[in-house]
Order: sequence, then structure tokens, then C-alpha cells
Amino acid sequence: MTQARINSVLMGALLIICAVWLIIPFTMAILWSLVDPAQPWTPDNLLPPEMSTFRWTNMWENSALKPALLNSYTLAPTTAIVTLLLAMPTAYCLARVPFPGREAAKLLVLLPLVVPGFVTAIFFTAILFQLGLTQSRFLAILFAHCILFLPFAIRILTVSFEQVRQDHIDAARDLGASPVARFRAAYLPALRPGIFASLLIVFIQSIEEFAIAFVVGSPDFTTVPTLLFSRLGQDFIRPDAAVLSLILVVPNIILMLFLEAFLKSANPSLSSGKA
Amino acid sequence: MTARRWITVLLLLAPGLGLIVGMIGMVVYIAVAQSFGLYNLNGESVLTVAHWAEMLDRKLYTRAVRYSIYIGVWSAVLSVALAYPLAIWLRKPFRGSITVGAILKAPLLVQGLVAAFLFINVISFHGILNQFMQGIGLWDAPRRLQNDRGAFGVLFLQTWKNMPFALLLLTGAVQAIPDDVLDAARDMGAGTFARFRKIIAPLSLSAMQAALVIIFIGAVADFSFQVIAGPTNRQSLAQLMVFVRQTSWHEAAVVGVTLMVIALVGSLLLAVIARLLLRGPASR
Repeated sequence: MTQARINSVLMGALLIICAVWLIIPFTMAILWSLVDPAQPWTPDNLLPPEMSTFRWTNMWENSALKPALLNSYTLAPTTAIVTLLLAMPTAYCLARVPFPGREAAKLLVLLPLVVPGFVTAIFFTAILFQLGLTQSRFLAILFAHCILFLPFAIRILTVSFEQVRQDHIDAARDLGASPVARFRAAYLPALRPGIFASLLIVFIQSIEEFAIAFVVGSPDFTTVPTLLFSRLGQDFIRPDAAVLSLILVVPNIILMLFLEAFLKSANPSLSSGKA
Repeated sequence: MTARRWITVLLLLAPGLGLIVGMIGMVVYIAVAQSFGLYNLNGESVLTVAHWAEMLDRKLYTRAVRYSIYIGVWSAVLSVALAYPLAIWLRKPFRGSITVGAILKAPLLVQGLVAAFLFINVISFHGILNQFMQGIGLWDAPRRLQNDRGAFGVLFLQTWKNMPFALLLLTGAVQAIPDDVLDAARDMGAGTFARFRKIIAPLSLSAMQAALVIIFIGAVADFSFQVIAGPTNRQSLAQLMVFVRQTSWHEAAVVGVTLMVIALVGSLLLAVIARLLLRGPASR
């Protein structure tokens, strides 16, 4: 059996597995979200007897979906921008300023990834209680998200800062450019893909983060993941959960594909932000 | 380095690394302090080991510890074991390999809660799996597959979600192995397994350790998969921590510190065992 033949057999097997793995579950979710409440979908029918968009409109009008979407889509871009601004100086320092202990500093940046998410969430609330800072849940979650996703932003931007060429900086300075003009001419072209990648990755992570949003935000601050969790838990309504799952997953997939395509065109080594 | 340069470095590191170290340091400190009775939010703080004694005595706690370790270890091992052959298969590009890689990485784009929902949809009492098994006549009636006692549902979900991540790390490492090294081994008569054991595994050891450790930490602290698809007669440590926090912050802190210690010690052990098994060179 040749290598090409083995590959085609494996490809066939893989496609069958993927159908089970991906297509069937998503098809089921789409079908469940279209079940009309007047005609329940019983096990003896392969397809729902009657389909309508009732669940979608009902979720939109009679649930916490609107505030949850508003919260999620306000929180995520704000987190992305604030995290980027906080990460910039550290990334610059780790990439371009040699100092003793720089490798250790690079490792320390990964700390938030080592402490389990729920531990961070629970004891972050303990700190908030201690400090009496429980007025704004939005700000509390924003702050925690920034800390949690800083490692990604710092890592990506460090790689970008390393790619800035010293001769460009020197040339700009020799030609008498002001610091702002120097930044725009020498730094920005090399940093642009990293800035974009950092914003997107932090945005996606923040949209789907559950532990902090659930522990710090409950009971009155909902995001799409916490709303989905409540619909999967005590008040499990399958069609509603299907609607929420699709709302949560579709923008995510579009953004990720966009990110992947963008990074491949800009800088293959940064792909997926795990460079 | 001059003092002025040090000040510049510290000022540059403050908004990023400074915040990380400050905040995570405080989280760890508060967790440890609260587990010993300090920082009492509802009364007098008393330095005591009573909360530890109390929790260590409870069957609920010891079961949660055992259960979380079981989920963490098996999730990491299964994800890496499945990802390795796929990474080796995708080492050299062939027609369709990019598509295959993209399909395999797809679960990375699916949020954990959504994955849990999709999964219980398939295995539920009148889900498609039960319908299929009855349709081909293997089962007479639908069976209850959700929240199974062996936590196979949780392990399946963890592997589904984490295998692509392990694949991402391992593909990079395996692709970096030069062809001539593998060709030389083949010419000297090394079989497929010997080539894996003596060349691929040692040279991709650090990527494998990273995958094992990151997946283990995530799975050992799992909350949402456990609540949605896990056995109803046992709790994971994260679930127990959220549960006991309603009555006592100090006991929640004991569980939290336990979770951190298990994550740390377990990660080190997994990395060391992986290295001993493969007897590879030091991580590079």
C-alpha cells in the first residue's frame, strides 16, 4: 500500500469521524432551535414536525439575551483595547531592553494561565469584598479579564516588537523625526499585525470567558456564556439553549477564521497567537 | 545597569507584568490566608488549621480530590495520545492536508459550554445516538447516557476540546524534525515504532510536556463540563469550591489552595514522568 493510498483511506475515515464530530451536533443544534412549541419534536420523528423561528424571536423579546449581548459586546472590545494599552510597555521592554532576569520576566507573564480560572475568580471576588469595591460589576470583570488575557497580548506584542528593525529606528532618528513620527515610521508597520492579532484574540477570549463572568457577575450581570449556563442548568430548555449556543459560536468562528487568514497574510509565525 | 535604567525597566514592566504579579500574587495570598482563617468577611479573623482539618475529614472533599485528578490526568493523556499520530501524519504536506488540519482544529473555535450542549444533545434520552441504536435494532429502548458514573462524558468533552490544542503544539514540534534524521534512522533499519520512540518523541518532548501540563491544569479545575455532563454523585474541586463558598469562604479557600497545589504538583509530575518514559534529552 503506497503512502498516497494510506492517506486517502485515512482521509475518508477522518471525514466520517468529522461528520459525527462536527456536522451532526451542529445540525442537531440548528434543528432544535427551529422547533415550534406548538408541535414538540418527539423521538419517533427524525426531523421536527413543524419548524419556525418562534424560539429565536421569543428569546430575543422575552429573555435576558439583549442585556447579555450588550454586556458581552461592550465588555469584550473594552477589554481588548485596555489590555493592549497595558501590554504595550511590558512587551516593548521584554523585546528591546536587555536587563538581567528578562527570561524569568517572560515566564512570570504566564502566571495567570497557571492558576486555575475558578480559583482566580473566587478569590478575586474575596479581594473585591475586602476592598469594598463591589459597586460596578462591569469594571470588576473588565479588570479581571485584562489581567487574565494580558499574557496573550504581551506574548504576541513582544514578538512584534522584536521584529522592528533597529536601522529603521536609527534612520528615522538621524533624519530628525520626532518621537511620534519615529514611532509611526519605524515601529507601526512592524507592530500592526501584532496589534490586530492581540485585539482579536483578547476580544474572542473575553466574549467566551465564563468563570469570572459567572462568579463576579452573578446574579445581576449576565453575559452570553453565563446566560447559556443558566439555560443548561436549573432551567434547561433545549431549544432556547440551542439558540444561545448558535449565537455564541457563529461570531466566534467568523472572527477566528478572519484572524487566521489575516495572520497568515501578515506573519505566518504568529498564527493562532501561540508563536 | 544604572539605577536610572532600572527605574525605566520597572516603569515599563509595571502596567503589564506588575499588574499580573500583583493581582495573581494577591489571589494566591488571599486564598492561602483565608484557608487558615484570616481575612474573615463575616466576623473575627482567627489563625487556625480547623478549616483544613474540617475539610480533610469530609468524604465529599477526598472524593472531589480523587475525581479531579482522575479527570485531569486522563484528559491530558488522551488528548496527547490522540494528537501524536495525527501530528506525525500531518508532518509532511499532502493533497488535502491543510483541510484536514483545519477540520481537526475546529473544536478550538467552539466554546466549552457550547460543546457541552452539543454533546448532551447527541447523547440525551431521545438524542440522535439513542435513535440510531434503536433504529439498527441494537437497543430496545432509549438508555440514559447523560451524567454517566464513570465520567466518560466529561472525558470525551475534555478530549474533544483539548486534542486540537495538543495537535497545534505537537505539529509545530514534529514538523521541525529534519527529514534527513528520520531518513537516516529508516536506512539503519529502524521500524515505525522505533523511529517514534528514539527520534520523534525525544525531539518533540518539550511540546508534549507543554500540552500535557496546560491541558491538565484546565481539566483538573473543570467546572462547566462537570456540572452539565458529569456524574451527579460526585463533584469536581471547582464545583465543590463554588458550592462550599455559599456557607464558608474559609472552606472554599481550602479547596482553592488544594486545587492550586494539585495543579502545580500534578504538572511537575506529568512533565517528569513524560520525560522518564521517553528518556529524551533535556528540554530545549
